[in-house]
Amino acid sequence: MFWSFVIRAVRFRKRRLMLAFSALAVAATLATALFSVYSDIERKMRVQFRGYGANIIVAPAAGRQTVPLAAVAIAERQGAVAAPFLYTVGSLAGEPVVVAGIDFSRAGPLTNYWRVDGARTAGAGECLVGSTVAAHFRLKIGQRTELGIVRGIVTTGAAEDSQVMVPFGLQEAASLVQVRADGARLTEVQAALARALPATDVRLLHAVAETEANVVLKIRSTLFLLTVLILAITTLCVTSNFSALVLERSKEIGILKAIGATEKKIAALFLSESLILGLASTTAGYGLGLLVAWWIGRQIFPESAAAGVGVNYGVFLPVAGVTLAVAAAATLAAAARIWRIKPAVILRGE
Amino acid sequence: MFLRFVSQSLRRSPRRKAMTVAAVAMGAAVATAMLGVMLDIGDRVSRELRSLGANLMVTPKARSLPVEIGGISFRPVSTADYIPEAQVAKIKTTFWQLNITGFAPSLKAAAPLGGQNVPVEGVWFRRRFRGTDGSMLEAGLRTVNGEWKINGQWIDDRDRNDADLRAMIGGAVARRLGLKPGDTLQLFGQAFTVAGIVSTGGDEEDRIYVRLEVLQRLVNRPGQVDSVQVGALTKPEDDFARKDPSKMTPKDYDRWYCTPYISSIAHQIEEVLPMAVAKPIWRVADNEGKVLGKIRGLMLLISLAALASAGLTVWSVMATTVLERRGEIGIMQATGASNGLVAALFSAEVALEGAAGGLIGSWAGLLLAEWVGRQVFHNALEIPGMLGPVVVGAAIIASVAGAAQPLRRALLLEPAVTLRGGE
Repeated sequence: MFWSFVIRAVRFRKRRLMLAFSALAVAATLATALFSVYSDIERKMRVQFRGYGANIIVAPAAGRQTVPLAAVAIAERQGAVAAPFLYTVGSLAGEPVVVAGIDFSRAGPLTNYWRVDGARTAGAGECLVGSTVAAHFRLKIGQRTELGIVRGIVTTGAAEDSQVMVPFGLQEAASLVQVRADGARLTEVQAALARALPATDVRLLHAVAETEANVVLKIRSTLFLLTVLILAITTLCVTSNFSALVLERSKEIGILKAIGATEKKIAALFLSESLILGLASTTAGYGLGLLVAWWIGRQIFPESAAAGVGVNYGVFLPVAGVTLAVAAAATLAAAARIWRIKPAVILRGE
Repeated sequence: MFLRFVSQSLRRSPRRKAMTVAAVAMGAAVATAMLGVMLDIGDRVSRELRSLGANLMVTPKARSLPVEIGGISFRPVSTADYIPEAQVAKIKTTFWQLNITGFAPSLKAAAPLGGQNVPVEGVWFRRRFRGTDGSMLEAGLRTVNGEWKINGQWIDDRDRNDADLRAMIGGAVARRLGLKPGDTLQLFGQAFTVAGIVSTGGDEEDRIYVRLEVLQRLVNRPGQVDSVQVGALTKPEDDFARKDPSKMTPKDYDRWYCTPYISSIAHQIEEVLPMAVAKPIWRVADNEGKVLGKIRGLMLLISLAALASAGLTVWSVMATTVLERRGEIGIMQATGASNGLVAALFSAEVALEGAAGGLIGSWAGLLLAEWVGRQVFHNALEIPGMLGPVVVGAAIIASVAGAAQPLRRALLLEPAVTLRGGE
């Protein structure tokens, strides 16, 4: 009996309810999308910062010239990317030139920012040349030199421009080892390296590490504040819709009271109507919100879209909780009127 | 008569009107806050990213190839290639001078210290000079690398003084020689006092920094500079920026020239310093662009989502208002008002409510955006003044658009049907 009342009430005022429904659904959509984006923004932003390359440098300790290669294995065991670099002075066409030995198979993630014309790696008997070197010796891709066949021309705007890069050979040691550790575990990796390699100087690249931490934190807190603000404002907006659902129906309330319904029963009627509406719009908004979050993720971070990032299914509970609480609170606040309505006055049309 | 109708209608049931206006205001506040933050966040983050150091390196057009490992040159220094110190300040006269947040000229040398050669750089730490418009400007290492961790003090070199024998030394040098701030060290046969120790983790750890004019005197290269680091706020590179400027049409070239791409800023520096080449440091410049691009894009899409929902909210509120007042429409029609008059009456009312809501909302939204700015970036955001009026306009449009459809439906119905309370 009770439920047939509720269902009929919904059927009778389709248009009016559609409005309340869509308003709450919009709020739920926005909440789902923002929570989803917020929940993994930190990880995504940190991925962006990987482009800066190394954030730890293992350099020779005082009085030494080289770093043992063991540093690479130790860093890799910590889950970091590491590559050895060895710098020597060689000669090309009778002129001295800096020759960098690079372990291309490992250095890839550390040299993402290199602008390369041609190949990014060189095998045995091949080399890459910096743009200044290429211009100085008029080298072209495919040309033979005494340091190997030129496979690519590198532009970085820094020291690499005046170097010739050859594959790291069978050397026992490196001039330095560059390490890229996950921003969140940076100090841990640094400490592990420093413990395992007492004869080296393990340096944290402060500028990279701190800028990353700073920017990630600021973007996160901006998103957080905006999410909270928008959520607060949209839900506030929805409350008026739900109050109106009760206020509009004073006459019906009067009739119900006149034929003997208790106030509690009438309030329950309205409350269940609101909750059904709330649940329906939350579900719709949740679906739509995930879609929006997925779309935003795919637009902005296409490289991580494959991993299904951008969608966080776990936000349903908080979103449903907030929207249902808002719907219920708004209805109950308006329902206080039920007690005050006098059937005789209402039905006379005042 | 018409105005009286509108004002009377507005006075009636003030509570309902207030609710409508409040709903519009909330939508407008969401839109304003989102847009306000979005429009300025790029610049804010851009400034944060400047703490990574210079993104442009200016060096003399050299005839010889530099052979340098760890700051030590393996061939005799050629004193023929240099940038005159007197002209360095011209960097601040380029088209994008306001985007150049700092620059630092330096002269490189090496000195034996503790049994090995150590690179020594003569630099401006924080030099004041007079700009072309007469205002005092600052340049030097501190304007490019202000975030360096210093144990001790930065050297203050506001005025020229080539007898000031103070040095800032890299952390690795300090550890190797066991030096603390206040200690002395011997360079070029002179006793320098350690003012501060620089810890960056990078190449700077192995360097010694002294005042530019001191090093110029000691290595006998007066007025010469080997390189200038430049920190500039840039627009992330897009496809257009990657075109070759020498092959652009004049119109495209103007557009490229007047956009703060890293390449156009480099080009303008080369214009004022013809003896030098300016190269983007891609490690900083490239990633800066990428990170900024992501953040801008993310904020833009979130703003779009928020705008869409704010618009929908205003729309639905207005639709509800009209829906609730179908009875009134019926009475007006029954007493002889033409459809046009009723439509005009309601539109005027709705537009007024939209404007009021928009005004309150954009004001509140600006406050909120500023609050976010202060919370996150510790100073107020720079929000374009146009934002408020634009949001008010949008609120009016959304309100009228939301009211239009139900109004049309109500007008098309027979008054008798409406008044009976039917569909």
